[in-house]
Amino acid sequence: MFSKLVARNSKRDRKNNGLYFGSMIISIIAFYIILSLSHQDVMIFLQKMESDAVSRLFTIIPIFYISTLVILFFLIYFASSMQMERRKHEFGVYLTLGMRRQNLFSMLMLEDFRNNIIALGIGLPIAIMISELISLITAKIVGLGIIGHRFSLSFMAILFTIVGFMIVKFIAFIILSTRIANKEIGELLTYSPSGVKRMLPKGIYLVGSIIGIMFLVKAYHYGISGEAWDSTRNMGITVLLGTLGTILLFFGIRLFIGALVSLGGKRKLRAYNFRQIQELVIQRSTVLAICSLLIFSALCLFGAGVAISSNSSNNQTHILDYTFKDNDLAADENIDVNKVVKKLKDADLESQFEKIIEIKIGNPKADGEVSFENIVNILKNLKDSKNKEILIHNLEQYDDCKLISLSGYNELRKAARLKPIELKDNEAALYMGQEFLIDSVLMNDVVQANPHIKIMGKTFKITEDVQSLPIVTDREITISVAMVVSDDIFAEYTGGIHSNYVSGILAPHIVEEKGLMQAISATNEKLDKASIEYESYIQNMGRQLFFIISASYITIYLATILLVVANTIIGVQFLMGQRKSHRRYQTLIHLGATYETLCKSSGKQINWYFGLPIVIALINSFFGVRSLFTGILPSSVKGNISQVFMIAIFIILLLVIFEVIYMGVVKSNSNKYLLSLMEPKREE
Amino acid sequence: MEIILKVESLKKYYGKDHNITKALNGISFQVMKGEFLGIMGSSGSGKTTLLNCLATIIKPTDGLIQMQNQDLSNLKGNSLADYRGKMIGYLFQNFELLDNLTAKENILLPLSLHNVDEKESRRRLELLAGYFDISELLNKFPTQMSGGQRQRVAAARALILDPKIVFADEPTGALDSKNANILMQKLSAMNEIEDTTILMVTHDSVAASFCNRILFIQDGKLFHEIRRDYPRETQEDFHQRILKVMSTLAGGDLNVF
Repeated sequence: MFSKLVARNSKRDRKNNGLYFGSMIISIIAFYIILSLSHQDVMIFLQKMESDAVSRLFTIIPIFYISTLVILFFLIYFASSMQMERRKHEFGVYLTLGMRRQNLFSMLMLEDFRNNIIALGIGLPIAIMISELISLITAKIVGLGIIGHRFSLSFMAILFTIVGFMIVKFIAFIILSTRIANKEIGELLTYSPSGVKRMLPKGIYLVGSIIGIMFLVKAYHYGISGEAWDSTRNMGITVLLGTLGTILLFFGIRLFIGALVSLGGKRKLRAYNFRQIQELVIQRSTVLAICSLLIFSALCLFGAGVAISSNSSNNQTHILDYTFKDNDLAADENIDVNKVVKKLKDADLESQFEKIIEIKIGNPKADGEVSFENIVNILKNLKDSKNKEILIHNLEQYDDCKLISLSGYNELRKAARLKPIELKDNEAALYMGQEFLIDSVLMNDVVQANPHIKIMGKTFKITEDVQSLPIVTDREITISVAMVVSDDIFAEYTGGIHSNYVSGILAPHIVEEKGLMQAISATNEKLDKASIEYESYIQNMGRQLFFIISASYITIYLATILLVVANTIIGVQFLMGQRKSHRRYQTLIHLGATYETLCKSSGKQINWYFGLPIVIALINSFFGVRSLFTGILPSSVKGNISQVFMIAIFIILLLVIFEVIYMGVVKSNSNKYLLSLMEPKREE
Repeated sequence: MEIILKVESLKKYYGKDHNITKALNGISFQVMKGEFLGIMGSSGSGKTTLLNCLATIIKPTDGLIQMQNQDLSNLKGNSLADYRGKMIGYLFQNFELLDNLTAKENILLPLSLHNVDEKESRRRLELLAGYFDISELLNKFPTQMSGGQRQRVAAARALILDPKIVFADEPTGALDSKNANILMQKLSAMNEIEDTTILMVTHDSVAASFCNRILFIQDGKLFHEIRRDYPRETQEDFHQRILKVMSTLAGGDLNVF
């Protein structure tokens, strides 16, 4: 009998509160996916070459995991407390019938446990499937190939998902059931009315919202101007102002809704709808504000994640696959291109490469003989910008620069499918490494003015655009500023002392066949066998991949959890509020409301109830994401308006999809409930 | 005299075969325009079922209900909702005011439900508010009112669309005798002045004494009817007669009702 009651009750809870149950499943999925990150193909691959960074990432995952458990705890506590509140009367009946409190407690615990097991039973298989799918898709996208894929099950991830989930549920359960257990039977049996909170004088709400808006404006200002990023203290103040501002705004928003009610209008049940919304907002203004902040954080995370990953992928110019080395050579000797080609031939590896390129780089014979004065002057006359200041500051410090021989550099341009540049003996092209060229548009404006530069007393006219193709595969070796000069000038000015960089580009058919990552990996093995020393592009690729994968994984994970929590709280709150006010709906039915009218009315309420926190979160995130751009993104993205716009569209689209799903679920739940109200019940 | 409501052999059965409950077992009666009709009966006699059938909240198993010559069983969808909203007014025992709406918003709620322009009814709102003595309360919420005030607001809501008939389900059930008396006086005056037709279900013999005619039902059947001999019979005399009928017909047990 007891077990039957437990089974029935837990089934009813799942049915009545499907939204909450569904969110539990999503959380389980998210937990498993983040915890099983180390089992993803890409991560296994990356661990080989970026083991330090990868293990650092793995050490911070528990922090994310625990902090999301804390957030999840609030959701569980909140949703369960509403559920307990709804079942209060039922508990009272059990106790009146002579059930011992201990039995009631164990009944509730068993019900909860049963639901947990079912949630895990549904969530974990889905999580494992999705995790495998993500692993396959990412492997395919980054060119790892999926042939080597092996089904992997992370037992640690399963274990921690179960343990974390159970612990959080258990703590919430203990707190809530203790509260119920301490209540008198009479208290449990009486229905507490949905209750209209006492209204304070209107002025207080007005002042509240004005102060709230002022706080928010100040926080926006701190965020956008970049002041927030100056110190932890400033950041703390910004966050505090933003949070308080949002809470105060929601506190005062009842005035705005009240005004909407009194405005009047012809729509069906307009006054009723707005009064319902107003009541929900009044009763839970702080919770709504927190939900809005959670959505805001999710949006910022999405923004940051997308920006970081798209930035690190766009910024790479990839031409060279290999740069060869010879560790046997003494430091002042140069690796010889012919020697490399011979070695490759001997090892039967020549066909692997489309092209072998040699680039010569050297210093002018006399030090301190280069002046960028003219370039700096031109820069100074251009429109003021932060990038301009940085460039001027950097260029003023250089009194020397490297020289690059034209023939080698042109080979590189050809490989990059660019036209070779032509230089006369008194001409040079400005080369700046990608890290140093923070604003190529600005620098090209400078070069358009045909500036000149003095090298060892001779004036060279700078032509062509600013060059910035990577000279070697290893991105750690970078050249800040150099001049590309004709081969004759190069020989003359360097006095024959220079470095040779010999690099290779893989044959296209190999890359097409296997995907870049696999092609390089396979070639690496062959080169290792033939004892040819090299640096491969794969290290860079690995680093870049690592950033993309970790940024997107963590931000999407956190953002999803935050969105799930916020939306579930809003949804559950609405549905519980609706159940509490069921008599109102019954009155409306008596007064002639049709089912469609009621559904429309509740649909409108849901739109508003979700819409308010979302709209405020969107406004907040407009400033939040901009602040993130000012604070943490590399300067190269800042000026790129179209990219920022694309990111914004992408985030909003994601949010819209998410909200449409959640609101749809809440609406269909609410409609189902309203249908049940259409049948009259006898009340004496 | 015009017949507003006509009920013929109305039946409502619950359950099946051997387990059948005959909540209404062939009730017939008519309500004339301007009549104040009371329906009395013990708990479980079928009063609420009758009222629910008349208000189209539930469907009868068999029989005819005609409102101004229109058969209610033919009503569907919007016309059914219109019937509920415009043809009838409903007064509940527990007022059923929406506690998050002000008195005025509560009274205007049927307008909003049936797309009636508020301006047209503004005059009627003022009239009803003045009449039920609630003008001062219009901007207050139900929680800020007494039970009597709430029921008067509910009465104004039931009458705002000038319905053909008002169904009152134990309207004095949740009121003290003083407030019950005030409400009944107001309803009765409404009936006299505006010729409002009222059908009231009640346990309360005092409330019933405000009616012109009373039907007694038991076990789903109509078994007695009394009519006030107006103006010869005073209200108090009529009340005594109700009490007498109640005791006689219930086999001498006054507590039956």
